[in-house]
Order: sequence, then C-alpha cells, then structure tokens
Amino acid sequence: MRKYITFLTTALLLVTFSSCHEIEEYPNNSNGNFEQLWRLFDEHYCFFEEKGIDWQDVHDRYAPQAANCYTSRQLFDVCSRMVGELRDGHVNLSAWFNTYYYREWWTDYPQNFNKRVIQENYLYFNYNQLGDITFAVLPQNVGYMRVPSFDSGIGEGNLDAILTAFNICDGIIIDVRDNGGGSMTNAETIARRFITERTLAGYIRHKDGPGHDDFSEPYAFHYAPPENRRVWTKPVVVLSNRSTFSAANIFVAFMKNRPQVTVMGAVTGGGGGMPLSFELPIGWGVRMSAAPVLDENGMCTENGIEPTEGYVMDITDADMLAGRDTILDAAIAFLTHSR
Amino acid sequence: MRIFRAALVTAILSLVTVSGLCAGDQESITVSGWQETQTVRPVLSAYTFEGGTAHMADTYLTPLHYNGWHVGFMYERMQAMAFSPERWMMQLSGRLIADHGENMSRNAVMWNLELEAAWTMMRRWNISIGAGRNLTLGIGPGTSLRAGALYMARNGNNPASAKGAWTVGANAYAAYNMRIGRLPVALRYECRLPVTGVFFAPQYGELYYEIWLGNTHGLARPAWWGNYFRMDNMLTADLRLGGTSIRLGYHADIISTKASHIVSRRITHAFMLGVATEWISLSHRHKLSDDARIIPALY
Repeated sequence: MRKYITFLTTALLLVTFSSCHEIEEYPNNSNGNFEQLWRLFDEHYCFFEEKGIDWQDVHDRYAPQAANCYTSRQLFDVCSRMVGELRDGHVNLSAWFNTYYYREWWTDYPQNFNKRVIQENYLYFNYNQLGDITFAVLPQNVGYMRVPSFDSGIGEGNLDAILTAFNICDGIIIDVRDNGGGSMTNAETIARRFITERTLAGYIRHKDGPGHDDFSEPYAFHYAPPENRRVWTKPVVVLSNRSTFSAANIFVAFMKNRPQVTVMGAVTGGGGGMPLSFELPIGWGVRMSAAPVLDENGMCTENGIEPTEGYVMDITDADMLAGRDTILDAAIAFLTHSR
Repeated sequence: MRIFRAALVTAILSLVTVSGLCAGDQESITVSGWQETQTVRPVLSAYTFEGGTAHMADTYLTPLHYNGWHVGFMYERMQAMAFSPERWMMQLSGRLIADHGENMSRNAVMWNLELEAAWTMMRRWNISIGAGRNLTLGIGPGTSLRAGALYMARNGNNPASAKGAWTVGANAYAAYNMRIGRLPVALRYECRLPVTGVFFAPQYGELYYEIWLGNTHGLARPAWWGNYFRMDNMLTADLRLGGTSIRLGYHADIISTKASHIVSRRITHAFMLGVATEWISLSHRHKLSDDARIIPALY
C-alpha cells in the first residue's frame, strides 16, 4: 500500500511541477530592471520599423550606463533616456518620484492654440457647455464646438442639443487643438454624427508574437450613424495642432476623409498606437504603443495627420499679439465664403 | 483544429452519456431475485468556506508575480448513481473565489474573481485493507465550466485579463472511514485534472478594444496539458456529528496556461471549513422500508 501511495504522490508532484509554464523573472536591481524594461519594449512595442530604430543597438549603448547606477533616480534617468529614443508620446515610465513622458512631439512645434483668446475674443465669454464640450454660434453664423479631450463620454442627447443649436448655421468648426486623446469610443460617438451610412473608419493591428515583425492582419473597423439622431451633412472644419494626439489623432484621420470636412491648422501629434501597460520589478509603471491604428487608406497614423492640402497653417506672430487666432479666422472665412 | 474537434466530440459524448446516467431518482427500487429491495441513495451536500494564500501571474497584464490572499465558497453535492449505485457516484460542485495580490514592491494590486461549476461521475471500488477497514477509490470523467477575470487598476488599456474555459478531464478520489476516539471521521482526498477542452485567450498583444470592435478570431483555444494545465487537490475530513458533519480540509488549486506567448498562472492554498450533511428525500408514496439498502455517496 505504501508503495502505491509513494508512487501516486511522486507522480502527482512531477506532473504538477513540470506543467507550470515558465515566466522569465528579472532580479530587482539595476541590471534586472533595465533588462526587464528593454525586453518589454523589445517584445511589445509596435513602431520599431516605422521609426527606423535598432533596439539592440539602443540596448548596447544604455546597458553599461544602467550597470553603473547606484540609486533608483540614476536608473530612472538612464531608463528614461533609453525609452526616449522611441520618440513616442505614448511611452511613459512612472516611478514614485517622477513620471517620464516624451514631450518633444509637441514642445518642438508652435502651440497654435490659446483658449483664452477664443473665449474672450470670439465667444465673448458667452458660450454653452455640455460635459467637456463648449459650443456657441459665432456672429458669422458659424457653429463652434471645442472638444478638449476624449477622456469623458458625451451623451447622444447632448450631441443632439449641440447640433440642434447649430441648425441655423451654414457650417461648423470642431476644434480639437490641444485634445490629447482619451477613449476611442468617445471619439467615435462624435465622429459618427458626420456620416449617413456605415463607413470604414480604419484598421487596427496587434502584435501576435514577441518578434518585431509579428503582427496580425489589419482588422477593419467601421462607424455607423446613430439611429434616430441628428447627423450633420453641411460643411465642417476641423482645427488641429501638434497637441492633437492619440484618440484625437484618429478622430482627425477619420474626419479628414469625409467629403464635407476640411482639416485646418498644423499636423497632429500622432499617437497612432494604442498603448499597453506593464511594470518593472522595482514597481515602476511602463506604458508603450502596442497596437497600431491605421486610417481607412491603410496608412500609419503614428506620425500625425496632415491638414487638408492647402490648409496647413500656424498662428502668425502678428495675430498672436493682436489676440487673434489665425487658424480660427481662416476656418470662419472658409465657411462663410463657401455659402 | 483537429485537436479542438476531437476535444469537442469527446466532451459532447461524455456530456450526453452523463446526462443519461444521472437521470435516476434519488430513491430507486431494484429487483433482486423474486424479491424487491429498496435502494436508497442519500445525498451528501457540503457548504464550505475556504481561505488561504494566492499566487497570481499573467504576462498579458504584467511580467511580475503577485502574492496575497484567497477566499472562496464552495457547494458540493454527491450521490450514488441510479443505474449502478454501488459502483458509480456523481458529484456536482459550484465554486466562487476571490483572490487579491500585491507585487513585490507592494505598490500595485491584482484581483481575481472566478466562478466555476463542475460535474463528475466516478467508478468506485471498495478495497479491504484489513481489520474490517475499507478504503474506497474512485476515478472517472468530469467536465467543468469556469469564467472570471484578473483585474489590475494600474493598467490603462489592458486592466483586465478575462478567463473562461470549458474542460473535460479525469477525477479521482480516495475515501477512508476511521474513528478518532469515539468520533467517526471520513477522510477524503480528491484530485481533478482537466485533460482537454477549450479556453479563452486573446492574442499576444491584442487589446480588448479590438475584440469589442468585433475581431473574435482565434480567441477560443483547444486545451491540452501543454497549454492548459490544472490540478485541483482537496483533502477533507468530515467529523460526523450525527447526520451532520463538520468539514475541515486543505485545498490546493493550480492552474497554468500558455497561449500566444502569454502565460497565466494561479496557485492557491487554502484551509477549508464547512458543514456537510447527508440526507434522504422521502415521500408518502416511497417510504423507507426496514430492509432498505442505503448506499452512501462516498464509500
């Protein structure tokens, strides 16, 4: 009997321990955290090819620096510089004492937006607000709505109210300058008010393995107009700047391809990869672009969306001093002249 | 695809067989020679709470391991089967569990919530081990359905990792009756080992947003030991106080999956405490005769 029990116990233990799948573990020291960080990007980051980055070379340049780190702040600095090489606004490294963001995607460009100028000199502080959206009918009989973020949802009833208020207008301006993104579904909620039939909105891909070229086939996604709700078919101008990013970038990509829409302003900031989050043994959070979103023509959106041809513009210095918004003025002129 | 089809056919056949076999009444009449002998199959029901430690890891969410506590509630129902009560018994169980873990830096938490239902039928043998004592051994097929999710608030676009599986596998148990002083005690060790089935797993870097958009390609994976290993071990001692027993036990549940290079693992060790009762349903039409054969569920 004892033999049977010993045999059974041994068999069960063998089966148990041989069947757990391995998870590679890194020690919680400078090298361990550096290697874990590098490996996470190596296996999950999705834009190495688009950005022409030799990630192994990056490893070889920064690994010796990480090995010489004696404090977590030193290590954070080395790791931040390493992931900064990706030039990606969706890349973050979060420690308890600092969060690293790659900022150059907007700091190296003119801002082209001043909220106060619009509120004071165009809306005369007389505007309506629903959720995050501010809106008003301008004296030129043009509707203006500013969508500062897609973080919060907007109700269908709210959108009906906004479009009803614009009913008398010849055209509307949707200002997504400084909109840093948020939820794709919130962007879709607004975008589908500008279509009358089910429309191809773009494609999404994902990594299907840890290799740099391991990607799934692009999956087409569509937007459908809302049922029994107001949709807008008259002219629309979408205003963009370099701080139009992520979900707002996708919104502009979609709107640009609608026949009644003109995009004006500056090239958007990109952020065309939906991010995934991970963490390091030291407890720091890591975020990176992991799933590329392509526009409806199958083009990568990571490097930003260009305005409609002929409508790339910055706010001029003279206008800035005079409290004018060159881009908004151009949009108003465009809509009033297209009557 | 061939494995998946084979698993599906096996599972359906076993389910059909099982559903046919378990259709018997709780009380049945068997014919022995010219004389009718009443066979009574009491139901053993147990309600158990468990608490212990949890170890969790899921590389879709994080490369780190999480350790913390585990709690659960389990309902279990066992009964000898109508078609051959001496030889076959069935077991039905439902389980709700919650796990909570922290990473090694203790600055992030992971939750797991899971619901499981399982059905098993087992062939049993009574083996005499001398001095009038018997050891009951049982083995047989079983099927289970589990659904749940791991959740990490820290992550933005990938805060959760959904879990779902339908599996068919083998169950085995050993039961032994003994006495501690004058107190009758029923010891039982049971092991559940899924062999095949299907389980849910997203692609390597696939966001749930893409699944929500409608891309459901490749989410259901055929399960086998190489990509879905689970071993559910339970050791219980029923301390019999009349018709009711206090159940004490130890429960170790190990599950490890690997699909699309994503490894997910959960190991729990828990102490069990509960109540088990053995009951017979009687009616005016079927009264218990003096010579009724009572066949317990376990032994």
